[in-house]
Amino acid sequence: MADFNVSLRGVGPVSVIDVKGYLDAHTAPELENVFNKLLDEKQYRVVVNFNDLKYISSAGLGVFMAYVETMRENKGDIKFSNMTESVYNIFDLLGFPILYEFYKEENEALLKFNEQGKS
Amino acid sequence: MQTTDNNAALRNFSALVDFSNLVNSSLDLNFALGNILLTCFGKFHTTKGLIALFNDNNILEVASCKGITTPVINSFPKISKDDFENNEALDRFVKENNFPVCREIKSSEGLKGVLILGSRLTKKLYDKEDIDFLSTILNVGATAIENSLIVEKLKKVNRSLDSKVNQLSSLFDLGKEFSGILQTETICKLLVYSLIGQMLVSKYAVVTCTNNSFNILENRFDEKLLTAALQNCSANIFVKNLTREDLKTDFKQFYDLGIDLVIPMQIKDETKGLILLGKRKNELVYSKSDIEYVSSVGSLAIISIENARLFKETLEKQRLEKDLETARNIQKNLLPKKIVQPSNLEIAAYNASAKMVGGDYYDIVKLDDEKVLIAVADVSGKGVPAALLMANLQAFLKSICKQKLPLVEATNLMNDLVAENTTLGSFITFFWGIFDNAKKEFTYVNAGHNPPLHVYNNSINKLKKGGMILGVLPTTIPYVSDTVLLNSGDCIVLFTDGITEAMNAKGEEFTDECLESLVINSYNCSSEELLSKIKQSVEEFTIGAEQSDDITCLVLKVK
Repeated sequence: MADFNVSLRGVGPVSVIDVKGYLDAHTAPELENVFNKLLDEKQYRVVVNFNDLKYISSAGLGVFMAYVETMRENKGDIKFSNMTESVYNIFDLLGFPILYEFYKEENEALLKFNEQGKS
Repeated sequence: MQTTDNNAALRNFSALVDFSNLVNSSLDLNFALGNILLTCFGKFHTTKGLIALFNDNNILEVASCKGITTPVINSFPKISKDDFENNEALDRFVKENNFPVCREIKSSEGLKGVLILGSRLTKKLYDKEDIDFLSTILNVGATAIENSLIVEKLKKVNRSLDSKVNQLSSLFDLGKEFSGILQTETICKLLVYSLIGQMLVSKYAVVTCTNNSFNILENRFDEKLLTAALQNCSANIFVKNLTREDLKTDFKQFYDLGIDLVIPMQIKDETKGLILLGKRKNELVYSKSDIEYVSSVGSLAIISIENARLFKETLEKQRLEKDLETARNIQKNLLPKKIVQPSNLEIAAYNASAKMVGGDYYDIVKLDDEKVLIAVADVSGKGVPAALLMANLQAFLKSICKQKLPLVEATNLMNDLVAENTTLGSFITFFWGIFDNAKKEFTYVNAGHNPPLHVYNNSINKLKKGGMILGVLPTTIPYVSDTVLLNSGDCIVLFTDGITEAMNAKGEEFTDECLESLVINSYNCSSEELLSKIKQSVEEFTIGAEQSDDITCLVLKVK
């Protein structure tokens, strides 16, 4: 069985979700739980670090769609970083780049949040 | 003079080689077009130029331009490839904007488009040599354009293939996942996630239809409006995919909610659910391939949802059956386990419920050393309600027996108790009698029950005396009893209507007459033998038909 692992850490006012392995229909609920936890704690600024993600299915992408509006309504956002090319291709294929910000490095995404926080 | 010409030719030639190398070095269309324009600018000293190419729909469209203002570009005529030969719009455009050069670009594959150039800064006109040079550039350029176009097309095809592969792997992924889940909520969640991920929508709803009414499982539209919209529809009008245009004309309420796509989820051509999707975030309309995807995911999901529902139903049924099994065991224990046998009477009894639990009841109670009470009853209705009332009756009977009342008073009391404790419409046909072992007497009261048959001297006396059935009204007119004297060899057959009204496969009843003639012909055997003859006869009669009512039969034989 393909493994998936998701963990959460705080970097200043921003929450970083690290995803690892295979994010598909089977493992999507785990990611969903993390987002629900963030909503409970009123954490709306989220960076998802895809450094160790091997594969994502459309059900996995759906989780991001399901939460992004709530985050944005609360002056937050979901930003993506450290994606491998194959994972990015799936996002690109489904048109995500129009709707989400993608960064090479987690730091750039964090900086972007900090800038927005100041203004 | 000769040398100057040669030099000029050499310059042109080397410029051409340069251009050819450059323009073929990349397969990027914009790069090729830009280079053609810039080469022309450099050679002819002009600052304005555009290249228009036929697009996928064979309409001429500006693909690259330099030095030309947007209004001019916007005024470029839309010309289809078929009308190109006789079209004056292009000539008009060229004249109006004072473009001195307009040349067709032709590759081996045919006409690709046109190149238009502005006047030269040196004010010199384009001479024959210039036009020849331009033709050469365009010949080389056309091949480069052709190649780039093919590459672009390939890229597009590749991307749409990728997208198909992605959809397929997503379907595969879901199919695998769905088959393992039996909770409707989880199935729905996964369905929704893969839809919104694949289609980039944030407004959606999933509803199921059972018996033509809708049940909303997931919804991100206005709940009240959606409920109202669904209420006006029945499931069977959703048989095909409905796009925004269909909705606008035929389903205004859905259109107004911002629903762009309605996909029915069907099992064997029956609509079991709907997927409703809103506008896509990337502003694209749903393509045929998108609709196919949603439809496929829907088909997978609805089968799983249906399975989950059936699974739940089966569980519920199993639980109910277990409850009934318990009830049946309790009820069986209410019937006498061991039959009392007085010295002068032989008693045989049989009882079978049509359902798990039944409403027939019989009892044999030893009152004292000489007296035995024998009772038989049929509670109205079947199943659980009848079984409950039967249990009540058994409790009344047991406690009344303890009070040693005369049979008539006991029956009056019994009726009052049953009438007080039943709801309207429930009643009991009831017969009981006391056999006096010493006197060989049988004193009985019949409260509306099928009269037992007293068989003696090859004739039958029906034990009818008594009164009303139990439970309809409290006792106002007392019951009456009767006593029959019995002789050795006499037989009394007590039964419920399950015997006489037993039906065969043709829907015919066993009848009283049939029972009577059977009894009168065979009452000379033992009580057990007569009972099994009755049983056998009824069983043979009803072969192939389902037992529709409870059956109870008691045979008393005087020794």
